[in-house]
Amino acid sequence: METSLASRSLGQPGFLSDVRAFYAVLRREWTIFTRYPSWIIALFIWPLIFPMMYILTARALSGPDGSGLAVFITTTGATDYIGYIIVGTTVWMWQNIVLWDVGFSLRNEQMRGTLESNWLSPTWRFSYLLGQTGPQIVSMVMFIGITALEFGLLFGVRLNGSAWMIALMMLAAIPAIYGLGFAFASLVITVKEANAFVFLIRGMVMIFCGITFPVAILPGWMQSFAKWLPQTYLIHGMRTAAFSNAGIKELLPDLIPLLIFGMFWLAVGYFTFLWMERRARKTGAIGQY
Amino acid sequence: MSQFAVEAHQLVKKFPARPGTGDRPSPAGRGDTGEGSESAPSPKKKRWQFWKKESKAIFTAVSGVDIQIQRGEIFGLLGPNGAGKSTTIRMLCTLLEPTSGTAHVNGYDIVKQANDVRRSLGTVLAGERSIYWKLTGRENLEYFAALYHIPTAIAKKRVDELIERMELKDRANELVEKYSTGMRQRVAIAKALLARPPILLLDEPTLGLDPQAARNLRELIAQLKQEGHTILLTTHYMEEADQLSDRIGIIDTGKIIALDTPAGLKRRIDQKEIIRLEVSGWQAYIGEKLLALQEVENLVAHRQAEADLWEVNMQATDSRAVLPKLVESISQNGTRLVNMNIVKPSLEDVFIHLTGKALRD
Repeated sequence: METSLASRSLGQPGFLSDVRAFYAVLRREWTIFTRYPSWIIALFIWPLIFPMMYILTARALSGPDGSGLAVFITTTGATDYIGYIIVGTTVWMWQNIVLWDVGFSLRNEQMRGTLESNWLSPTWRFSYLLGQTGPQIVSMVMFIGITALEFGLLFGVRLNGSAWMIALMMLAAIPAIYGLGFAFASLVITVKEANAFVFLIRGMVMIFCGITFPVAILPGWMQSFAKWLPQTYLIHGMRTAAFSNAGIKELLPDLIPLLIFGMFWLAVGYFTFLWMERRARKTGAIGQY
Repeated sequence: MSQFAVEAHQLVKKFPARPGTGDRPSPAGRGDTGEGSESAPSPKKKRWQFWKKESKAIFTAVSGVDIQIQRGEIFGLLGPNGAGKSTTIRMLCTLLEPTSGTAHVNGYDIVKQANDVRRSLGTVLAGERSIYWKLTGRENLEYFAALYHIPTAIAKKRVDELIERMELKDRANELVEKYSTGMRQRVAIAKALLARPPILLLDEPTLGLDPQAARNLRELIAQLKQEGHTILLTTHYMEEADQLSDRIGIIDTGKIIALDTPAGLKRRIDQKEIIRLEVSGWQAYIGEKLLALQEVENLVAHRQAEADLWEVNMQATDSRAVLPKLVESISQNGTRLVNMNIVKPSLEDVFIHLTGKALRD
């Protein structure tokens, strides 16, 4: 029998409690993710399908004897056109998946009906969004690993650079890529339907950031615009890290802007979330679908 | 500490209505529990929509609600769908910010001390999708225990205790998607009880449950009161409100129109008798004819499940005098009186007396 409830509340607020709550969100997401077994199939098929489109186009354009590749090598400085393409397409895919997964995470909760139930607890609300990134990053690392493995086995693509430098580039890109995802997630809650925005953003990355070609071939105004997209630096830096023996010094021209963009997009993501949270309390948007 | 568990003063919630459509927003989120007063949207603000300026209509869902709930009391908020019950609950549990007015829960201001309010509350919102269907019952409770800042070791014991209490032990490790509606509702209530909050907000807790599950849940709510919880219960089932509540606030079109104990509310129409008829071949004009009788008021007719059978309720000041007139007025042109009772007033009759319409309208 329970008595004198006011003095016996079991909640113990504090920093550690918020960390535990964040971990709980992370674990919940991972558990739910693993309970949809179709992700395993997607994880093996998608890394092959998307780049294949560009690789086969490149093969067709290079001519029957592959002589056209010489022009590509001159323009890009890359001897392995397949490796060149898969770095670009993998970055594109990363941003694309983040927009769908993280960007629609709160919206999915809203449609499931669980968002309000989370919102009722005294936990720091940004944890709900932050917690979605953990399993997403793990699955993305697996995606990149499987991409490297599949193209290594099937096409003989070899990464000559340091795995540490590749990891460093990816790490530096996390704030920018996920910051954009956070901002996006908050907007989706408000506007409900945002497929058009996903298509716009990934289209911009596809055209301006040089996923299968060097940015240098773009007209001047497009090159200027590309400089404002963090994915441009990530793709360039990843190619440098993966296919040359570049160290941190060589990667700095890409790392620094990437980190600056990261801080910017994280701040944008956080403040958009705060704005959305405040607006939702006024309009009741959290419970509507 | 405040003497009241929940105290609201002139609580108002207005929403922008969708322009042009006449649609009301659904602040409660679910279509089946959407709230809002019947008051017409009033044009108030202007906003630019591409090239033309369009009026932004405002819809008042809750219109100056005053409530004071004593500690340890079950307070029933009774009203039809769309009366403002869920919007009131959503303001009290901090999901919605009031447009004006103030409210305190466990002594904390719902706007300025929202997190303290959340710590003081266990809330079950209407609908069964407040838990994760791809997690087991136990995983759900462990997850929410962490969100309510319960230390891990204590949480494990508490989760076991609640699983036992909610009779979920045998199926606690199964995915919630395999549970019945009643079991899911029990997990949702266990979730609300996790941190042992002093105040529980239960929004339509028996909605969608089968009669047995609803009865079990009502027993549980009565037990929770015995254990010292203050409970704010919203429902549109009058028997539920009558059976459980110490006091009832009747809400309609966003306003509390009456507030008293169930007995006190019924006393308001004590001098009236309720005549309940079952009529075959009912026609609307007969209703008008009966209402024209001096002794009859507040007549409400509902078609029953059986074809062409209607239940007609009315309040009468002197049933003996009016009965012959009723029989005479009804038994015409193929309309037939099948059954007739004079009953004690229920909360539904109180509601009809106050609003002129039935709860289920």
